[in-house]
Amino acid sequence: MMPQTANEALATEEVINLIVNGDAYRLTVPSHAMLDHVLREELGLTGTKEFCGQGACGACAVIMDGRAVLSCMTLAVECHNRSVETIEGIARANHPLIEAYVKHHCMQCGFCTPGFVVTAKALLDRNPDPTDDEIREALVGNLCRCGTYPQHIKAVREAARKLRGG
Amino acid sequence: MNNEELSRMLESFDNLKADKYPLKNYESIGKRGVRRIDGVEKASGAARYTIDVQLPGMLHGRFLTCPYPHAEIMSMDTGRAEKLAGVRGVLRYDDPELPESASLGGHEPFPTVVLPRVAHFQGEEVGAFVVADTEDIAAEALELIEVAWQPRPFVLDPEEALKPDAPLANPEALPKGNLDPESTYIEKHGDVAKGFAEADKIIEFKFTQGLNTWVGPERPCGVFRWNGEYPEVWLKQQRPHISKRHIATWFGGIPMNKIDVHCLYQGASFGGWSQVSWNLGGHYCAALMSRRLNRPVMWTFNRREDFYGGEMDEGVYYYKVGARRDGTITAVEARAVVTNQFLPVFGVVKHFIDNTRVPNIYGKTESVMINKGPTVATRCEQNSNCHSMTLVFNRVAAALGLDPTEVALKNDGAEGHDIDWLNRRKAEMGFPVRDSLKECLDKGRAAIGWDRNWHAPGTKRLPDGRMHGLAFTWTHEWDDSGGSSEIAIYIERNDATATILGCRSDVGVNAETAYCQIAADELGLRIEDVRYKGQMDAGFYTMTPDTSTNMSVNGSAVRHCARLLKKKILETAVAPRGVTQLGSFPPAFPDKKPEELDIRDSVIFEKANPTNRLTLAEFVGPSGAMGPLLSTIGEPVWAGKEGIKYPLRLTPPLFEHAWHVQRGTYIGVRLRLCRQAHFMEVAVDTETGEVDITRMVTVNDVGKAISVEGCEGQAYGGAVMAAGRGHTEEVVHDPNTGVMLNGNLLNYKIPTLMDVGEIDTVLVETGMGYGPYGLVGIGEDVATVMPTLIGAAVHNATGKWVDGFPVTPDRVLRALGKA
Repeated sequence: MMPQTANEALATEEVINLIVNGDAYRLTVPSHAMLDHVLREELGLTGTKEFCGQGACGACAVIMDGRAVLSCMTLAVECHNRSVETIEGIARANHPLIEAYVKHHCMQCGFCTPGFVVTAKALLDRNPDPTDDEIREALVGNLCRCGTYPQHIKAVREAARKLRGG
Repeated sequence: MNNEELSRMLESFDNLKADKYPLKNYESIGKRGVRRIDGVEKASGAARYTIDVQLPGMLHGRFLTCPYPHAEIMSMDTGRAEKLAGVRGVLRYDDPELPESASLGGHEPFPTVVLPRVAHFQGEEVGAFVVADTEDIAAEALELIEVAWQPRPFVLDPEEALKPDAPLANPEALPKGNLDPESTYIEKHGDVAKGFAEADKIIEFKFTQGLNTWVGPERPCGVFRWNGEYPEVWLKQQRPHISKRHIATWFGGIPMNKIDVHCLYQGASFGGWSQVSWNLGGHYCAALMSRRLNRPVMWTFNRREDFYGGEMDEGVYYYKVGARRDGTITAVEARAVVTNQFLPVFGVVKHFIDNTRVPNIYGKTESVMINKGPTVATRCEQNSNCHSMTLVFNRVAAALGLDPTEVALKNDGAEGHDIDWLNRRKAEMGFPVRDSLKECLDKGRAAIGWDRNWHAPGTKRLPDGRMHGLAFTWTHEWDDSGGSSEIAIYIERNDATATILGCRSDVGVNAETAYCQIAADELGLRIEDVRYKGQMDAGFYTMTPDTSTNMSVNGSAVRHCARLLKKKILETAVAPRGVTQLGSFPPAFPDKKPEELDIRDSVIFEKANPTNRLTLAEFVGPSGAMGPLLSTIGEPVWAGKEGIKYPLRLTPPLFEHAWHVQRGTYIGVRLRLCRQAHFMEVAVDTETGEVDITRMVTVNDVGKAISVEGCEGQAYGGAVMAAGRGHTEEVVHDPNTGVMLNGNLLNYKIPTLMDVGEIDTVLVETGMGYGPYGLVGIGEDVATVMPTLIGAAVHNATGKWVDGFPVTPDRVLRALGKA
């Protein structure tokens, strides 16, 4: 049968191997599917949020091979044979960012919070002792409509201190 | 009605005096470090929102939207869309199952066309609702719908819309002209002509306010499923009780007790969306298609479609102010023309009436229809009033060469009376007599370094060449609207933890933790032993997060409920705990009276002999094989054996239900006693027009803080939102096509972490609120009060008034005569 629309003509599927939070998956995904869609709809990992849907807000951040990436801008097929860490994995590992975020009230409605935690985790992975400016620079791509910004600096600082054994 | 019920009712209405039940000791109330009950869920990604709902067999629905700002569907062919693989159905405007209208949200049932044939703004959902296996397929199918549109003339500008020959923006609603004749709001006291005659200086000005919007992080969405005859609904909506009421009117009427509602965490909409009459339109279409297809249906808007409505302060404002040389304001006259008001229009000078001694005030607000989306209270309906306060006080101070903080103090008062009059009223009502504005000003001025940093307009250049500006604004608190709330508390069997039950949504203001703090302190429980549990089925319709009235209303209900429950616990502790066919169970504290006991740290004890104690958990006892109320204590049961000492424990259910009703100051029943004062520092590049907000200080007299971090969160969060509204946020429409140009997060600029400088949040606690312990709300305040402060700050920096908001670089350059 001929494809009915241009989009349908593009809709092929591919099999990918993906490691998410240490768990290996073999998935058949549409070629145009974004990583956030696969994480949320296929794997049920709904902690990864979509806010802007166009790479402007950081709510969909995940860590891929050590770097924070925007999963709404990342094709799932690009992630073949790669390792992804989501907020669920960070929480499962009991990362001190979680408790620091709770303590410092870094959330209000909470929709954007997982994206901040993921971005902050990626920062601390590569820089265990960031300055306030480095924290700001890392988090500037994460939007919070409730305006919780001032608290994130404190929480990331505190989590970093705990990770360093302080 | 028995005496107890009567006393409850009377207490509910008695909120016109100082609080009758302050606590001697506050254990968790007002203390830092109380763990927020939603914290781990939200930080760990475990918190569930409506958009996260996934149900077996769930389908996805999307709407056709109009590409024109004003157009009529002449015909529509959905054939190709219906044939697309994965499409399960298309609901059309001419579907025989669609009623002429249905109640689709808003404050009250309001007949609304479910799938209109005529669109009155670009992006309006009209004509068709496609249901498919995925959201992508639904979107793809929408592109296959062929529509014969009949575009109509349109108008976008409120002043243009008022002209006699202007196109009619909505001839279906307003066939004679764009000004809504039923939406004029007049407010006045005194005689402004007399006030102007007494003035040394007359100041006249005009400004425009652009359209800004809520930008809820979670897209508008919902899920509808039919479980046989029982509808089950997941709502992204702040008001589950109102939604349930609307849904009950559908399909010939659905009994309320057959409707199952889930109101999960809300990805914020700041009122906005939740109050528009169409906000249940998606639910209606999803309900109809879910029933037809026998599958659950989730409807969604895409991100752009979320931008279709906005804040109700878009419009044009005209002012005339009279003042004496010493800064005493003698008259304020204002007129506002605002756009597309879905709710009744609100005043522009009400804060002057409520908040000042200005004796002569007149305000007129009119609503005009233009071809943009509906506007509605979005944190909140008092924006226009706050703009008036900010600009009038700063304009008067600048015109007279005075310090605006001194002008504020000089005019503080209420309803045309001075502060001495207001202080007498405070005393009469039993409040502490404190000068809230002065206390706020003293703290705020110290925090921002006012005496050191404030200067005459246009006189301070920074080392980098930019101009420094500093400005201040103020107004009163607002526990503004009336509200009502019911709530219940249940002591759990086994461990005696307490569960607060309420049907409301959580929008993140940490109110739920604050309810736990109130219940814990009133009951004598440890804070970790209390949980607020949002539940939807049992009723207990708690005040939802709309207006700043929440903590006053719900806090009162929780406090009242906790007091009743504590009374019940102590009465139960001294009474036989139950009389059954097994005999009478002896009291836990025999030969004692309730007033001889107390509860602290979740332990019941005798006040005169604290070693006579029983943990509350021991008191309620474990549940067991004999049912939840009755348990064996170490020995086998020999029921019915004559003379046995029954080794059983029975404690009746410990549950209470209470409510609170509060009348609002909208109808003038309560004087405003608490004040707030906010400060903003800016650096202005006079070559580019760019403004940096380098520092903000917020000072709120909250009366009494329950959750300190919650209050601070509303203050700094509000400051961030205010910075966006005043500085960068504007929904822009192409004047030639009427098409919205920036319905996305790339081009609609909400502030980032680096767009605002340092924010200091200062709380003042005068105890002069009408809520429990003397509290007032704070949720809407700062975001509403501060936006136009940037205009005053830019004036202080440059000596020029920007006449339009948001204060974008082009507007600054125009003010400077450079564009």
